[in-house]
Amino acid sequence: MSKLSIVRLYHDLLGTYGDQGNAEVLMHRARARRLDVDIIEIAPNEHVPTSGDIYLLGGGEDGPQAIALDMLRKDSGLNRAVGNGAAVLAVCAGFQLIGTSLPDREGNIVAGLGLVEAATIYTDDPRCVGELFVTPADDSLGPLLTGFENHQGRTQIGSTMQPLGWVESGFGNGLHQADSSGKIPEGIIHGKVIGTYMHGPVLARNPQLADHLIQSVVGSLASFDDPFAEAFAQERRDAIRG
Amino acid sequence: MLGPLRLSLAARAGALASQLSQAAGKGRGETIQGRVILGLDPDALSKLAVGRDIILVSGTNGKTTTTAFLARILAEGTDENVSTSEFGANMSAGIATVLAARPRNRYVVLECDELYLPAMCEALDPKVVVLLNLSRDQLHRTGEVRKVANLWRSSFTGDEMTFVINRDDPFLEYAVADAGHVLRVTFGGRKHPDAATCPNCSELLDWSQSDYRCSCGLGTLSAQIRADQRLSGPGRNAVLAIEAARLMGAVVPVNVQTDLTAEAPDRVANYQVSGNQVKTRLAKNPESWRESLAQISASKVVLSVNARGIDGRDTSWLWDVDYTSLVGKQVVCTGERRRDVAYRLSVQGIDVAVADSFALAVEVLTGKGLDSEPVEAIASYTAFQDLAAEALGLHNATTGLDR
Repeated sequence: MSKLSIVRLYHDLLGTYGDQGNAEVLMHRARARRLDVDIIEIAPNEHVPTSGDIYLLGGGEDGPQAIALDMLRKDSGLNRAVGNGAAVLAVCAGFQLIGTSLPDREGNIVAGLGLVEAATIYTDDPRCVGELFVTPADDSLGPLLTGFENHQGRTQIGSTMQPLGWVESGFGNGLHQADSSGKIPEGIIHGKVIGTYMHGPVLARNPQLADHLIQSVVGSLASFDDPFAEAFAQERRDAIRG
Repeated sequence: MLGPLRLSLAARAGALASQLSQAAGKGRGETIQGRVILGLDPDALSKLAVGRDIILVSGTNGKTTTTAFLARILAEGTDENVSTSEFGANMSAGIATVLAARPRNRYVVLECDELYLPAMCEALDPKVVVLLNLSRDQLHRTGEVRKVANLWRSSFTGDEMTFVINRDDPFLEYAVADAGHVLRVTFGGRKHPDAATCPNCSELLDWSQSDYRCSCGLGTLSAQIRADQRLSGPGRNAVLAIEAARLMGAVVPVNVQTDLTAEAPDRVANYQVSGNQVKTRLAKNPESWRESLAQISASKVVLSVNARGIDGRDTSWLWDVDYTSLVGKQVVCTGERRRDVAYRLSVQGIDVAVADSFALAVEVLTGKGLDSEPVEAIASYTAFQDLAAEALGLHNATTGLDR
C-alpha cells in the first residue's frame, strides 16, 4: 500500500485525556516500518472521509459525546468507511458511541452508530476509576494489556461478540456479572473494530495493540526494537502487583 | 459557653498535634492541626469565621500565587491584619488551621480546592470569592471539568457574596450564572482548550473571534473590567487579586500589578543538587506544563513526574502537552513515572534518558562536573514537594498538603 491514512475524529469533542497519543504512537510505529503515514484531523462539522485506513475516537464528557454522536450519525462517513473495511480504535466515550445504544445528555437511551453490538447504561454505582489490567482474548496482543479507566457508563456486549479481553484488576465494561467464561469482559474486538475503556493513550502503554491495528490494515510487520516503549509497557504490566 | 469552650479546646489540641508532627519530622503539621480541630469541633470552621472578612480563591491554576498577591495587597492597602494560606493546604483541614492561628485577624485570604469550594462558601460565608479558571486537572478525582462547573453553579445561588471571575473562561461564566453579584474581568478572550462545547447548552461554542459565542447567550454579559490581553498567567491573576482587594476596601497603588508579577514566585525554586544550582518549576497539569516549558532556557533539562493522588494518578495528560521546545535539548526523566515521560518524549523525537533519582538525573546531564552548563527542571506536585522537603532536611515528609 502506498500510504497509511489515520483519521482522528473530533479531537475538540473526543480528546479529554491524552487521546492524541494514539495517533502519535501509530505514526511512530508505522514510520519505523518505513510506512508512509498521513494523519487526517477531522474537526466537528467537517465531512468524515470514507477512504481512511484507521479511525480514532477518543474519550469525551457527556455533552461533547452527544454532539459527536449526532454528527457522526448524520455524516455516516465513519459507518461507510467501516463497511469498506477500515479499522477503528474507539476509546471510552468513543467505545460507547460505536455501540448499539447509550444514554444521551438527559439520560434517555438513544441509538449509537451500531458498528458493534454493545449497549451502554448509566447506573448509580460509583464511577469506574483506576488502573485497569486485562488479559487479552487474542494471544498475539501479549500477556497483559494495561490502561487507566475513568467512566460512569457500564457496557454490555452482545452474546456473540468477542471482548477485547478479560479483567484481571479494575472494572472494564463495568458489569458485575461475569460472562459464561466466568470472567468480567473488557472492551470489544469485532473484525477490525476495537472498543475499550482503557482510556487516553492506550496504544502508548500497549505497543502490541498499536501493531495489531496497523497489521489489520497492511498485513504483517517487521519487528521493531523500541526500548522506551518496551520498558514503559513492562513497567505498567508490573504495576499489577501493586 | 459550651461552644466557645469546645472551639478553644479544639484549637489548643490542634496546635499541640502540629508541634508533635513537626518534632517527629513529618512536615509542617498544618494539615494534622486542622484535622484535630475539626475532629474535636466539627463546627469549628463557621465559628472561626464569625465576624471576619473572608476571601476565597479557587480555580485549577494559580491559587497559591493569587492568594499570596491578595494577602499582600490587603496587608499593605488596609490597616487590618491579614491571615492567609501559606503552604497550599487548601481543603477543610488546612483552612481550619489558618483560621485558628490568629483568630483576631479581620481579613482572611484562603486558597480553596475546587471540590471543597461550595462547602467552604457555606461554612465561612465569604465576602468575596475569586474564580481564576477551570481546566482539566486530576480527572481521576474530579471526574470531568464540566462536573466541577455544574457543582459550582448549583451552589452559587445566593447574593451574600461577590464573585470576581475571569469571564474569558466559559466554565466560570456558566458557574456564576445564578449568583447575585459578579465582577467580570476580561483579558480580551483566549481560546479554552477544554471548552469546545457550551457548558450551559452543550452546543458547539463559536470561538472564531478568539472569544466565545453561543446561541444560548452564554458570555454576552459584558465585563466591568477590561484588562491587557498580553498578560501572562501570573499577570492575569494579579489583576483578579487587585479587583478583589478593591472590593474589600483596600487602597491599591497604581503600579502594584507590575510589582507583584515582577517577583511572582510562580512556584520556582533553586535547588542545590550534586553541586549544581537547578532552577526547578512546579507544574501540575497540561496548562501549567505548557507555561513552564515555554520558560525553560537551559539546554539540559530534568523532568520529574510522580502520579500520587495530588499529581493526578492518571498520566494520560502527558500526551496533551507539546514538547517541541525541548527538541535539540538533552533531557533526563526521573520520578516514579519517568518511563511514561521518556516514551512520550522519544515519540516526539527528543533526546531522552531516564535516571532513578533527581540527583542522578542531574549527574547524567553534568557528568558530575561542577560549573557545567545550567540545568533546569520541571517537577510534578509531589516531586517538587519531595525536593523541597529534602532541601529542608525533612525526611518522610508528608508535606503540608491534604491528601
